[in-house]
Amino acid sequence: MTAAVVLAGGRSSRMGTPKAGLEWHGSTLLRHVTGVAARAVDGPVVVVRAPGQELPALDPAVLVLDDPEEGRGPLQGLAVGLGALADRAETAFVCSTDLPFLHVAFVQAVLRRFGLEGPEIVLPFVHGYRQPMTAGYRTDLAPRITKLLDAGQLRPAHLFKESDVRRLEEAELLADPQLARIDPHLESVVNVNEPSEYREARDRPAPEILVERFGVLANRGGGGRGARRVRAANLGAAAEQVGLSFDGHVLAAINGDQIRGDGLVPLVAGDTVAFISADAGG
Amino acid sequence: MPPGGYFGQALVVDVSDGSTTVVPLADDVLRQYLGGAGLGVWLLSELGEAGVDPLDPAAPLAFVFSPLVGTPLTTSAKFAVVAKSPLTGLLTDALASSHFAIAGKFTGYDAIVLTGRSASPSNVFIDESGVQLVDASAQWGMSAGDAEESIRASYGRTWRAASIGPAGEALVRYATISHDGRHAGRGGLGAVMGSKNVKALAVKGRKRVSLHDKDRVLAAAKDLRGRSFGPATEKYRELGTLANLLAFNAISTLPTRNFQAATFEGASMLSAEDLASKRSVAKTSCASCTIGCEHIYATKGGGKVRVEYENMFALGPMCGVSDPDLVLAASSRCDELGLDTISAGGTIAWAMECVDRGLLDVPWLRFGDGNALLRALDEISARTGVGDLLSEGTRRAAAVVGQGSLAFAAQVKGLEMPGYEPRTMQAMALGLAVNARGADHNRSGAYEADLKGGLDRVHGTDEHVRAAIETEDRAAIMDSLILCKFLRGVFAEPFGEWAALLAGVTGWDVDGAELRETARRIVHAKRAYNLREGWTPADDWLPDRFLDTSLELASGRTATLPAERLRSMIAHYYAERGLDAEGRPTVVTIATGTEPTP
Repeated sequence: MTAAVVLAGGRSSRMGTPKAGLEWHGSTLLRHVTGVAARAVDGPVVVVRAPGQELPALDPAVLVLDDPEEGRGPLQGLAVGLGALADRAETAFVCSTDLPFLHVAFVQAVLRRFGLEGPEIVLPFVHGYRQPMTAGYRTDLAPRITKLLDAGQLRPAHLFKESDVRRLEEAELLADPQLARIDPHLESVVNVNEPSEYREARDRPAPEILVERFGVLANRGGGGRGARRVRAANLGAAAEQVGLSFDGHVLAAINGDQIRGDGLVPLVAGDTVAFISADAGG
Repeated sequence: MPPGGYFGQALVVDVSDGSTTVVPLADDVLRQYLGGAGLGVWLLSELGEAGVDPLDPAAPLAFVFSPLVGTPLTTSAKFAVVAKSPLTGLLTDALASSHFAIAGKFTGYDAIVLTGRSASPSNVFIDESGVQLVDASAQWGMSAGDAEESIRASYGRTWRAASIGPAGEALVRYATISHDGRHAGRGGLGAVMGSKNVKALAVKGRKRVSLHDKDRVLAAAKDLRGRSFGPATEKYRELGTLANLLAFNAISTLPTRNFQAATFEGASMLSAEDLASKRSVAKTSCASCTIGCEHIYATKGGGKVRVEYENMFALGPMCGVSDPDLVLAASSRCDELGLDTISAGGTIAWAMECVDRGLLDVPWLRFGDGNALLRALDEISARTGVGDLLSEGTRRAAAVVGQGSLAFAAQVKGLEMPGYEPRTMQAMALGLAVNARGADHNRSGAYEADLKGGLDRVHGTDEHVRAAIETEDRAAIMDSLILCKFLRGVFAEPFGEWAALLAGVTGWDVDGAELRETARRIVHAKRAYNLREGWTPADDWLPDRFLDTSLELASGRTATLPAERLRSMIAHYYAERGLDAEGRPTVVTIATGTEPTP
């Protein structure tokens, strides 16, 4: 089983406001990132926050953990998150909260490497840098990380030195045709630190998706019964654009997979959303 | 004086000679089993000899009404037909609706049970004056619809009849009993009726039951009628259950080519979205129903047929047929012959796969060939050619063909599977495996848990088990009260609301908690009946196909249902249900007392 850890701590000093709560198409950046991660894994999603940190509202299925000590860097949050998942998942995608363009396909491409080769860490090397905050980790690494922290070795490099790390190069990632098509510049790893970076990201159009409506929903909202391409950052926005709303009688399946009734579930480029009647069945 | 809504008695008719027995139904039995499917299992347990062959004259065939029949409550004109199934050898209870329910109850009985075997084809007529066996040679060989019309034309239009078609006469193990175009479809009840040499049961009556609190019932009926026009029933009103087909295709839950795939390339050609605008000629409803879910489509050649998701799935994608003319023709033919569309389509699809694999030498019977489908239906009903084998259903046919063909016979307990792919609907996988009737979507509505979101539908867990039990309990009450399941979405607090309806009719101080206990009792009673008739734990299982092969979702995810996961869910189901580790009820409350199981 796979899981995800989102590290929500950090001072957000350059942003001037906590990044977790930044508005993101009617939601927040943290809810968006946790939602993307949840779509990509088949196990739990954990958010690790700093002591006393206030978080925006999250999907109730997301587990929130407290980092017991502030100021020990990302390895501290990593130890907490992976430790909590050790009995529930073998591997976890670990990321920060400031990744507006994180794509489901990227997360899955990283986690797939564990199945193929069995390393302890899958570390993307993208845009000229290694990307420890968009990487995959075995959950049984938690004790080793704790030991490093206790020894005052707080940097991810210390962990990499003592672990079986599989570097994942850009070319390898882009060999995945789906990822190459929908995230050709690997913007999944792009984080926002400055207000200007956030504004630029926020000003971009929402991802383009394909919407289908079935049954009694097919004729609502005009525009004919056929599939429609729209731009929407989450299910609620997609529904609105085709004249629907999550009123308890509408559900959506993303890419023919899980069925959701929560309008804040994030969408990513290339998604197909099927709106179906909540009263489906015999 | 029986409670409101009841006559407190069942009529048993021995069709060998027309003799009758009145069985009193004590208040506590009625309160514990309600009516419909619940009272049916009690009657079968009481009146049926253990181990009897389902087609033996001694096997009872019960038509069971309910306390709500005859009230102004919408969708309440329904009846259950209950018997030991010739397909499964276990309990089967199928519901049908409309005027027969009202006329049958107004004869003055809460149930009519047929036993014995008439010496020659007969119709059974029951009214307040008594029972008559009448020669049925004029109707024998007719479709159920024609037989019903013939009886009403000959004997008067106040008679209402439940009839069998040629398949029931030929003892096809999945033959139906029909009334007013609706079918008590599953489990071969038509063959049980045919084995008694009874073509039709005709009823009429004027006896009225009392209502404990008429004003309260009228107010409830008005309220329920209003809610029945709301969004929770919109799907059924506007497009009918066929609206499922294209949606199920989009989420990989549309069984295709005998469950070898879960999406069908021809789905759009069979969809309600496409066909309704081209073919719909009428929308109708059962008696006493304000929903009006019946969508009538035109067939090629000027005919008409009522379409539902299940008949279109079973005769379309399951058999790989995408030509709507041929699928609608096949559906219409099933109605004429009196065949359960699900079992017919499932059995033919299994045979088509056998042909593909070289296990059956029937070269004309291939996936995608709609004319072959029509030919197969006729051969099944006449028990000619390969039809004689297929009329036995997939489990018996696979036992004859052998060579591993049971592994892909899509059935549970011998009942062919409905149109819900268990690998991508894993709450439903459990529901299909453990239900008393066999692979069934009406007694277990576990698909609701899969389709509501909130649970990962391709990874069954203990949460799926709890959700499946909840839907099973709700079905147990709705099928016993009886209310149409298409109404289920309008109830915010179903058990409490149903209890209030029942209290108004009967005068009982029943509440939601009591109805939950009643649901549990009915589910246990069905298990206890099956246990008596030879059920074993191995019967609560799915065919190997679903456990050994996986399906790819459009998302790229793989849907698998490992045997150990299903085993774990079943074990949890047994524990949650209060059954022993092998699925047997530890305490059975059949009959009038509480007895430990042997």
